[in-house]
Amino acid sequence: MQGKIMKSGLKDILVHNPIRESIVRAEIHPSEWIKSKVLGLGMLNAFLFIVLTLTGILLMFYYVPGTEKAYRSVKDIEEVVSFGIIIRNMHRWSAELMIVSVFLHFSRVFYMAEYRKPREFNWVIGLLMFVCVLAMGDTGYLLPWDQKSYWGMTIMSNVISSMPVVGDQLKYLVLGGTEVGQNVLSRAYNMHVKILPLVLGILIGIHFWRIRQDDRLAGSSPAETTPSSESSTGRYDVQTIQSIGWLDISKRELSKCLLVLAIVMGASLLFNAPLEEIATPSVTPNPAKAPWFFLELQEMLSWGPTFFWAVVLPGLVFLFLLMIPYIDRGAIGTGVWFHPSRRVENILFTAFAVILMGLIVVGKFMRGPAWVFYWPWEAWPIP
Amino acid sequence: MTGNTQSRREFLGRCGWIAAAGAVGGLTIASVRYMRPDVLYEPPKEYKIGTIDDYPEGVDFISDKRIFIVREQNSIRALSGVCTHLGCTVQWIEERNRWECPCHGSVFNDKGAVDKGPARNPLPWFDVNLTQDGILLVDERKIVSYTKSLTVKT
Repeated sequence: MQGKIMKSGLKDILVHNPIRESIVRAEIHPSEWIKSKVLGLGMLNAFLFIVLTLTGILLMFYYVPGTEKAYRSVKDIEEVVSFGIIIRNMHRWSAELMIVSVFLHFSRVFYMAEYRKPREFNWVIGLLMFVCVLAMGDTGYLLPWDQKSYWGMTIMSNVISSMPVVGDQLKYLVLGGTEVGQNVLSRAYNMHVKILPLVLGILIGIHFWRIRQDDRLAGSSPAETTPSSESSTGRYDVQTIQSIGWLDISKRELSKCLLVLAIVMGASLLFNAPLEEIATPSVTPNPAKAPWFFLELQEMLSWGPTFFWAVVLPGLVFLFLLMIPYIDRGAIGTGVWFHPSRRVENILFTAFAVILMGLIVVGKFMRGPAWVFYWPWEAWPIP
Repeated sequence: MTGNTQSRREFLGRCGWIAAAGAVGGLTIASVRYMRPDVLYEPPKEYKIGTIDDYPEGVDFISDKRIFIVREQNSIRALSGVCTHLGCTVQWIEERNRWECPCHGSVFNDKGAVDKGPARNPLPWFDVNLTQDGILLVDERKIVSYTKSLTVKT
């Protein structure tokens, strides 16, 4: 009797999530539910967002968003503030890790075809979050006001002005003037620390809420579509669930977070975040390279007309990615890794990912002065 | 009577929606316009660069203005050092007699014309003039052809 009350009480709390109901009905052990979350990359991204928010707030106590002081204040954070360099490194490395793990999360969802009905909209939200993360990377690397910041912003503003008709007006609006200066630094700062985190935070909220709603709508999920014969026999009693259930889940999730935190901290102790010379308008470094996550764009920029390679083509690719769940209306193979019926889709996606990574590798390791091709082991000429 | 009350309520409701749309729309437009500055504190586009004696024969770079001064005997020209592709500062390569861009590899010949892309437009030559007291004056707002140069008596 008491067990029954507890059971229905829990059921209400869990809002009829079929998987969680199965846990309550003691059909599935919590550890199996957690395994159904596949890799936990989404949770990892949310955790990195928290790490980035906290380290970002700490950095803001010393950072000054002015062209005269920005670089010096970053140098101060690195050299005279206690643990300042660790905080900055953690911010940088968790940001880069987040870009990687967001991409892996996106790939995982594609390879398992989990963007399909009823999760189409959440796929769109996810891609918008990806854009937000890249925009934060972009505005973030402007802030130290070093050579990479200055020349990155110069190139970006000219990519904007390559758009027909609205280009020049838009460039003026983005820069807050005709040159890279104080106005664009203020703009990037406010986007980076206020607007984009707010937008990303809201999108994370919607993403999480949709996961729950969509699980309900789908009425099934990876764990239920491939149930193990044992789990449906109800071998776990309610008492066990109550004592270890959510505690167990929380512990597993928290320990993953701890592991990632340890990795980020370890990397921050061993490797320093890059910081180049102070921004100097008269001297363009040769070669002037964007941070790695934009090198695929810079590589394509060197091929031909800016508007096509940096705006039209990436825009079309992004639009196509957005439309994937509305094009693929199939139902076979949802929630299964590399389902044989999706061979063509998986090959195409893999090709896309390989090309993307290839462009980054070429941009990073095989481009020398004046963006000339060199093998990694070849020496660059000294000017 | 009921009809009248209802229509007054509808009328007021409609007024409310219009007012809300006006307020939100107006503020949105105002905010976007606000982001577009009307006064800039950028360096002037017309400036003095000293006398012809400051520039020996050949190509000189004025780093804080990002322009090249080209002197051939008594004639003097000013060339923009900003790559027309994406705005990096080009470098004068004396031995190859041309300008090269470090960012994406554009090459401009000694007349500023494109030898190799991705840049598609030539580097612009700026108007050079002489003030009454004999100081060179560059005006970046006036773009002139390569053939035009200022000849100064020395």
